[in-house]
Amino acid sequence: MARMKFLCDAERCIECNGCVTACKNEHEVPWGVNRRRVVTLDDGVPGEKSISVACMHCTDAPCAAVCPVDCFYTTDDGIVLHDKDLCIGCGYCFYACPFGAPQFPQQEAFGVRGKMDKCTFCAGGPEEDNSAAELEKYGANRLAEGKLPLCAEMCSTKALLAGDGDEVADIYRDRITKRGGRPETWGWDTAYKKSDV
Amino acid sequence: MRAQTITRKPRSRRRIALVTVALSLLLAMALPLTGYIAHDAGLAWAQSDDAEKEAVNSRSEYWRAVRQGTEGYSSVSGPEAGVLIQSGGEDWRNLRSGPLKFFGGSLLIAVLIAILVNHLVRGKDMIDSPTGRKINRWSGFDRALHWYVGITFIILSITGLSLLFGRALLIPLLGKEGFAAWAQLSKPVHDYLALPFIVGFALMLLIWIPRNFLRSHDFAWLKSVGGIVGKDHHPQAGYMNGGEKVFFWILFFGGIALMVSGFYLLFPNLGWERETMQLSHIVHSASGLFLIGISLGHIYLGSIGVEGVLEGMVRGEVDEGFAKQHHNLWYDEVKGVAPPQEGSAAPDVSGATPTT
Amino acid sequence: MKLIKKRDLTATETNSVASNILGSAVDRRTFLRRASLGLGGTAVAATLPTTMIQRAEATSAVGAEGDTEIRKSVCTHCSVGCGVVAEVQNGVWTGQEPDFDSPFNMGGHCAKGASVREHGHGERRLKYPMKLEGGKWTRVSWEQALDEIGDKVLDIRKRSGPDSVYWLGSAKFSNEQAYLFRKFAALWGTNNVDHQARICHSTTVAGVANTWGYGAMTNSYNDMHNCKAMFFIGSNAAEAHPVAMQHVLRGKENGAKMIVVDPRFTRTAAHADQFIRIRPGTDVPLIWGMLWHIFENGWEDKKYIGQRVYGMDEVRAEVAKWTPDVVENVSGVPGADVELAAKTMAENRPGTIVWCMGGTQHTIGNNNTRAYCALQLALGNIGVSGGGANIFRGHDNVQGATDLGILSHTLPGYYGLAEGSWKHWARVWDLDFDWVKDRFDTGYVDTSGDVEGGDAAVPFANPMNSAGIPVSRWVDGVLEDSRLIDQRDQLKAMFFWGHAPNSQTRGPEMKTALETLELVVVVDPYPTHTAVLPDRKEGMYLLPAATQFETYGSVTASNRSLQWRDKLIDPMFESLPDHTIMYKLSKKLEFSDQLFKAIKVKNDEPLVEDILREINRGMWTIGYTGQSPERLKLHMANKHTFNVTTLKAEGGPCDGDYYGLPWPSWGTPELKHPGTPVLYDTSKHVADGGLNFRARFGVERNGVNLLAEDSYSKGAEITDGYPEFTADMLKQLGWWDDLTAEEKQAAEGKNWKTDLSGGIQRVAIKHGCAPFGNAKARCVVWTFPDPVPVHREPLYTSRRDLVDKYPTYEDVKSHYRLPTRYGSIQAKDYSVEYPLIHTSGRLVEYEGGGEESRSNAWLAELQQEMFAEINPADANDANIRDGQWMWLEGPEGGRIKIRAMITPRVDRGVVFTPFHFGGWFEGKDLLDKYPEGAAPYVRGEAANTAFTYGYDSVTQMQETKASLCKIIAA
Repeated sequence: MARMKFLCDAERCIECNGCVTACKNEHEVPWGVNRRRVVTLDDGVPGEKSISVACMHCTDAPCAAVCPVDCFYTTDDGIVLHDKDLCIGCGYCFYACPFGAPQFPQQEAFGVRGKMDKCTFCAGGPEEDNSAAELEKYGANRLAEGKLPLCAEMCSTKALLAGDGDEVADIYRDRITKRGGRPETWGWDTAYKKSDV
Repeated sequence: MRAQTITRKPRSRRRIALVTVALSLLLAMALPLTGYIAHDAGLAWAQSDDAEKEAVNSRSEYWRAVRQGTEGYSSVSGPEAGVLIQSGGEDWRNLRSGPLKFFGGSLLIAVLIAILVNHLVRGKDMIDSPTGRKINRWSGFDRALHWYVGITFIILSITGLSLLFGRALLIPLLGKEGFAAWAQLSKPVHDYLALPFIVGFALMLLIWIPRNFLRSHDFAWLKSVGGIVGKDHHPQAGYMNGGEKVFFWILFFGGIALMVSGFYLLFPNLGWERETMQLSHIVHSASGLFLIGISLGHIYLGSIGVEGVLEGMVRGEVDEGFAKQHHNLWYDEVKGVAPPQEGSAAPDVSGATPTT
Repeated sequence: MKLIKKRDLTATETNSVASNILGSAVDRRTFLRRASLGLGGTAVAATLPTTMIQRAEATSAVGAEGDTEIRKSVCTHCSVGCGVVAEVQNGVWTGQEPDFDSPFNMGGHCAKGASVREHGHGERRLKYPMKLEGGKWTRVSWEQALDEIGDKVLDIRKRSGPDSVYWLGSAKFSNEQAYLFRKFAALWGTNNVDHQARICHSTTVAGVANTWGYGAMTNSYNDMHNCKAMFFIGSNAAEAHPVAMQHVLRGKENGAKMIVVDPRFTRTAAHADQFIRIRPGTDVPLIWGMLWHIFENGWEDKKYIGQRVYGMDEVRAEVAKWTPDVVENVSGVPGADVELAAKTMAENRPGTIVWCMGGTQHTIGNNNTRAYCALQLALGNIGVSGGGANIFRGHDNVQGATDLGILSHTLPGYYGLAEGSWKHWARVWDLDFDWVKDRFDTGYVDTSGDVEGGDAAVPFANPMNSAGIPVSRWVDGVLEDSRLIDQRDQLKAMFFWGHAPNSQTRGPEMKTALETLELVVVVDPYPTHTAVLPDRKEGMYLLPAATQFETYGSVTASNRSLQWRDKLIDPMFESLPDHTIMYKLSKKLEFSDQLFKAIKVKNDEPLVEDILREINRGMWTIGYTGQSPERLKLHMANKHTFNVTTLKAEGGPCDGDYYGLPWPSWGTPELKHPGTPVLYDTSKHVADGGLNFRARFGVERNGVNLLAEDSYSKGAEITDGYPEFTADMLKQLGWWDDLTAEEKQAAEGKNWKTDLSGGIQRVAIKHGCAPFGNAKARCVVWTFPDPVPVHREPLYTSRRDLVDKYPTYEDVKSHYRLPTRYGSIQAKDYSVEYPLIHTSGRLVEYEGGGEESRSNAWLAELQQEMFAEINPADANDANIRDGQWMWLEGPEGGRIKIRAMITPRVDRGVVFTPFHFGGWFEGKDLLDKYPEGAAPYVRGEAANTAFTYGYDSVTQMQETKASLCKIIAA
């Protein structure tokens, strides 16, 4: 069974934020909600690295573990999605997520956050594929159209890879072999390998 | 994406629910041990690191440091957008799904069992010799305050517990949609009721402080657990007995923790970091659970556990027999036998002691 | 980059997926549109204009179930030329897909490219023609606006002559619009026409063209896959040309060593093998320092220099002065770093050099660019794949607009302004030369000799043949004493046709200039900084232009490839394509018949293909002649057949062509020249895209041969250097009879540049020769102020101790019609009061003046405030905390209120500001001065408000990379 995964090649990421606006473009995500962001570490000094990060669609997703209403589910492709009809906007997934992926349209007094929004791997939500309801709640469903997430497809330097985990790993391994290093990449273990609890 | 949840919805929801409950229980029991596991695993990693140090490239070291939550730059503005990985979430999740649920749940169950056992074994604590004469115990204001706080507390407890245990307990009963509907009601109710509750609760705690300073006879009361242990079945007690005073101080300090942590949770717009929210959540849940637990005892003792208590809080007056039996010092004081106790409710002797 | 494995797609399945996309996308996009209307409640959605709703309603009226069409365009935000694939439904741009077929970007986009669809929302566009009436913007009709503007400029023409109207064009034009604009200005009768290239790469074009013939990127982004070394100086490709980094990093992964030289630790530097931090404005010392090691160790390519380079010995003499300790003292770069860089470049050949604004925007910009060339020539790196001077241009069509001559010193195709050039173009335009000449003012000679005395006429050169005022100096064209300006009168009217003034320096003076002009006209999709900067009550018009996504035509990427853009959507609101506006205005100004003599006009819109064909007929110098509309369209339809490293089509209908027919594509389209992927590459036949250095500077100087020696392109029948081809030369060579009868008729008395039949070029190529001759590149440009590049301190320098040794130029009385100051400014020491070096650059989210990108909600969200990067030490000295408001003040008094960003990206003593912000002036948000609903989401101080005087000695490039400033907590 295929498992869809993201991988960001820090040796290639240049913090151009193409992935961020591609996501905005594809899903018409409103101002203030960023399903994807780029983080630069050691900014401005040698060793600086940039990384694009969104929901990593973890194998044992912490968000799903803490959701009080159990609104998360994992698709056959290993994509972690959630049901906005069930979501109560409690923010627990944001507390639990290692990557800061869950976003809330509001952030107001009395704990008002609105329904959680996050990267869907361009796979929509529980509504019928490419239906009106799905589009309004979750954005476009590219996977149902045989496409991959737009952020990765539009990555300026092909740093952000998305797709079947095996293929992504193969591509990355080839690059690493060419560069003569060991495949050590950010977030992969945290999202996909860890099996604590 | 239409997922398998849709297809499995009608058939196996109950089975899943059962499995979920079973798993939750299992996990709840197992989780307290994970600290050791994680610790060991950490050691194991560290050891293998040492062994591999030569072979490991600098990149992995780099990312390991990042794993500790190093903050970077991001042009996306948002709460902690510059943090790549936060580890606090894992600790929080482990605490919440483990010890918090386990000990919190156990506490509630234990209290209920204790109540049940007590009720079965000892039965209702009746007034030994009711006189029919009433004396005023709770003023109208006290009673209004008590019931206001009590009712809001109960609502907050139910809605709060729903968020913690609803997934395990209520989803099997109500179904996901049903529970989500309930939770969607619960959350705003909990959030919007919080401030009214805080106002009342804080007021109550403040004005009741004088009555609840512990005195020497209170320790004797506590030593005999209100007369359950030892020979003296009716240890001395003033306006409030030792147990009630202890309950009060638990409410006082637990309440502060509850309210302060709740305040943080209530205002995510003030820009708290996740760590603050996680800590607040644990403190809030733990203090809440504890207060709910002892409040169960309070409710039991105040209603069917001890005759006459409820009457006092409903009508404001109690039978003299009740007063003599449970609050003899206060009774004496009201009757003018003993000097007034500090902080006792202003004894209205004339009004409180109807002749004949 | 399809990585789907879940259902291993077979060929038929792939097709069905494709048809699914088309089928299902109908629903999807309909709803997407709905979703964008329905998702209210946010800051942006709250301001959703009614126009957008009207637009959506209009489309649904056409039919709810319109088919989704795929249309292709090219990103408008930098010169990489990324393909944009648009899904359009019922005239609404509903989706954007990656263009995997484009060999330039292979689907990739940066933040700007990935958000171009937002331009299809256009919420913050200038929607209608507007007129300033009593200080308020009032909506007017196109007819009224053009009528009033036309009357006014005709009146100014009558009073002050045609040179008092300034036509400021744009690098955002398509090639056809750019050409038309230059022709428009010519037929109006002035050379006061210019565009962004003046302030971006003019020093490159001048420096490079004067070194080896053509002023353009020699290789291509894709060719960087073949590099062994990459030397970036003053280029932050990761932010300015992000998709170029795809090729750069591929080259790096292929083993290339990457060196980045910059005052700032940029995102590009983060990927470098070696980062060299220099003091701003010390490029020449660094390059000469590297050459010092190269010469010292004998690493130069002696054979190459002997065959193909003139004047290296004079460079050697200058370089000898730049010993490692001198270099370190002046540039701040430790000797070992310089040596390492030199060694890396010497040991890893071919290596390329990349430079951008960091090198060009200096008073000695032309020295910098020629020094870079000398380095590459010494290493033998020019004319080879993997080497070259990869000069990354800035805007999507700044290369094309430069080639097509929206410049005050030349006609299209770098023909210059000589009478012969005008005659050539008059022939192409099929106009009588004398008619064209009569459109111009005539220069005249003062006979009174009384220059000081009042209104006495001052002599000035013939305006038709003298370079006009450059965009960098239009402020002086307005404010300078008219007797000191080399034309009849000051500038009285300005057309800002796709150009924001916040990209030019000296903000306070600019504000005064904008207030002094009699007429200001902005033709732009957005109101721009121009609309809000001046405090005016009237005499100002805003005309809404369509974006490039709303029209069609060709665009030239940095690597000289032309791409054809489809029209994605109709012009929004009341906007019109630029060429339509030009037509309407020329009609009002009564020269539309001449302007469009050979161009069909339908419904007021000139036919773009006809304009390109006219370009093809005249642009022989740089080979813009083979790129017919038909060939370009064929390339666009077959993008996938081009190799992504060589850019050569492998099979298919374009077999053998290079993608986009990178110029020169010699001869007529019928010759089917494939374009030239690498300039001066002698390993290929000229007919296959080979070349050698151009014979542009004569054949001999001081008795030294300037032609190539024993070096020639593959298959050349003349196996040595040769001058440029003329009709006479063909006769001497006995090749005259290779011409057809018609060609002979056209070619008689002409040369390769002026023969409109293309016969001379055809025959030269037939014999394997480059039409422009075969000469040496020159390291000594004897016509420039500094024949061999030398270092000169910036006008505002913090190193006063170096001024004596490296002084700037003497003041110049007239350069590009204006007095230009150098020494008189440098003479005063500002470094005590203004101790910090001020430099500027790009952010990845924005482009240029930034009005367009700051009006794009998806981009604006990422950079919401103007800031300055300050080293922690300087911040502590000034007692400024991170994120705090502060004032940055330049030595000429321009001050800006901005946020402090405290970061080690900049060195101690250097302050960096991004130049994309506008809409504020000296601490004040000018929001209320925008027409309603047309203010960009993000506004901020223009960095250039605080930048200072300083212009390149050859091209009048403005100095924005090395000035001074002080910072004060606000």
